Amino acid sequence: MAADPIHQFQITKLFSLGHIGGQEIAFTNSSAYMFAAVGIIAILMLAPSRQLVPGRFQSIAELSYEFVANMIRSTAGKEGLKFFPLVFSLFMFIAVSNLVGIIPYTFTVSSHLIVTVTLAMLVFLTVLIYGLSKNGLKFFKLFVPSGVPIYILPLVVFIEVISFFLKPVSHSVRLFANMLAGHIALKVFASFIAMLGAIGVVGWFGAVLPLGLTIALTALELLVAFLQAYVFAILTCIYLNDAIHPGH
Amino acid sequence: MAVGLRLSSELVAGVLGGAALGWGFDRLLSTSPWGLIVFSLLGFTAGVINVMRAAGVMAKQSERL
Repeated sequence: MAADPIHQFQITKLFSLGHIGGQEIAFTNSSAYMFAAVGIIAILMLAPSRQLVPGRFQSIAELSYEFVANMIRSTAGKEGLKFFPLVFSLFMFIAVSNLVGIIPYTFTVSSHLIVTVTLAMLVFLTVLIYGLSKNGLKFFKLFVPSGVPIYILPLVVFIEVISFFLKPVSHSVRLFANMLAGHIALKVFASFIAMLGAIGVVGWFGAVLPLGLTIALTALELLVAFLQAYVFAILTCIYLNDAIHPGH
Repeated sequence: MAVGLRLSSELVAGVLGGAALGWGFDRLLSTSPWGLIVFSLLGFTAGVINVMRAAGVMAKQSERL
C-alpha cells in the first residue's frame, strides 16, 4: 500500500539517440519534460498577438519580462542588463519546469542534482570567465586577504579558494534539495491517506488530517517552486554583480 | 524564509563540498581517512565564512579587486 516516495524521480528511457564512445545517449522522460518546459515558454513568449491592451497570456509574458528586468537592474545595475537573456532563460526554465512538476504524475526536472549543477556551473563559468577577462590577473587578488601574517597566509588562501568554489555547490544544492524534499514530503503525506483509508470507516475520518496537510503542502510547494526560481535568478544576479562591479 | 534557506544551504554546501573533496583526495592518493578529516574541517570553515559573507557580517571576496 505504501507508495515508494522515491519512485517519482525514476529516470526512464523513452528512445535511444545513438551511441557516443560506447555510452548510450538516450532521450529520457527528463529530457521530454525539459523540452516541454521550453515549449511552454516558447508558446507563452511567441504565441500571444501583440496588442496595446494586453490579453491574459500577453500580460504574463510582459510581467515576467518586467520582473526579471527589474531584478537585474536593482541588483546588478544597468550594465547587468547585457546578461538579461541568461538570467531570463534560467528563471523561466526553472520556474516553468518546477510548476509543471507540481502537477501529479509529472516529473520534476530540477529534482535531479545533475540538472541543477549544470545550471549552476553555467552561471559560475560565466562569472569566472567574465571576471577574468575584465580584471585580468588582478582577479586572483580575490583569494588573498590583506593584512594576514605570512605564516598563516597559505592556509587562509586555501580556505578562500575552497569557499570560492563552494558557490556553485550551494547554488545548485539549494534548488535540488528544496524540490526533492518537497516532493518526497508530498508523496509521504499523500500515501498516509491511502493507508488510513484502507483501515475502514474510522480510517476515513482519520484520513481527513493528512488530506488537509497534503492540500496545504501543495500550496506551499507552489510557492517554493516559484521562490526557488526567484532565488536562483537573484543569486545569479548577485554573482554577476560581483564580476561586473568588483569592489562594491 | 528565503534568507534562512540561503544561509543554511551555504553551511551545508560547505561541509558537503569539503567532504567530497576529501573523499576524492583519499581515493586518488590513498591517504584514507586523513583527507576526509582535514578537508571536512576546511570545508566547514569555508562554509562558515560563506554564511558570514551571505549575512553581510564579513567583507565579500569581490571587494578585494
